Amino acid sequence: MDVNLLFKIAGIGIVVAVLHQILSKAGREDQAMMTTLAGMVIVLTIVIKEISELFETVRTVFDL
Amino acid sequence: MEFGFITLIITILLKEYRKDYAIFAVLTGGAIILYLCLDTLMGIIDFIKTLSNSSGGAFISILLKITGISILTEYAVSVCKDSGESSIANKIDLGGKVIVISMSIPAISTALEALTRLLP
Repeated sequence: MDVNLLFKIAGIGIVVAVLHQILSKAGREDQAMMTTLAGMVIVLTIVIKEISELFETVRTVFDL
Repeated sequence: MEFGFITLIITILLKEYRKDYAIFAVLTGGAIILYLCLDTLMGIIDFIKTLSNSSGGAFISILLKITGISILTEYAVSVCKDSGESSIANKIDLGGKVIVISMSIPAISTALEALTRLLP
């Protein structure tokens, strides 16, 4: 729950974008798609962990 | 404040490279900011709780639950609107309203009873 989390997501996004470009230029379309999906899954796990932590906190604070 | 600006910059940057990662940045940034607000909110809620022990405690807890629900619904609605899906935002809003109304039914019924007792 810190700002470096945001930087991690931005980093992964940029790296995946660059990799996609390189791989598609090199003619390997399927591998480009694979790396994009892999990056998507990684970022999704991070975000879901964050959101669940937030919802748990709200649940305990407002005793929902 | 600074978290908001950092999230803004990262979202704009990601929107230029990869459209779909911008939504993740918005989600995480929103979660972090809300997490920080909750810390101070805890103090306020404890104060309200101590205040409410004297008067009607049941309604105060319902009130707190409703504020919690509305905070979360507002979080989801704004993220959906931001990414352009206003139809999903309206559905989430509807769901939030239904939950809030269903929780406030006991309060409404006691209020009506009090009203009918007052009237001749």
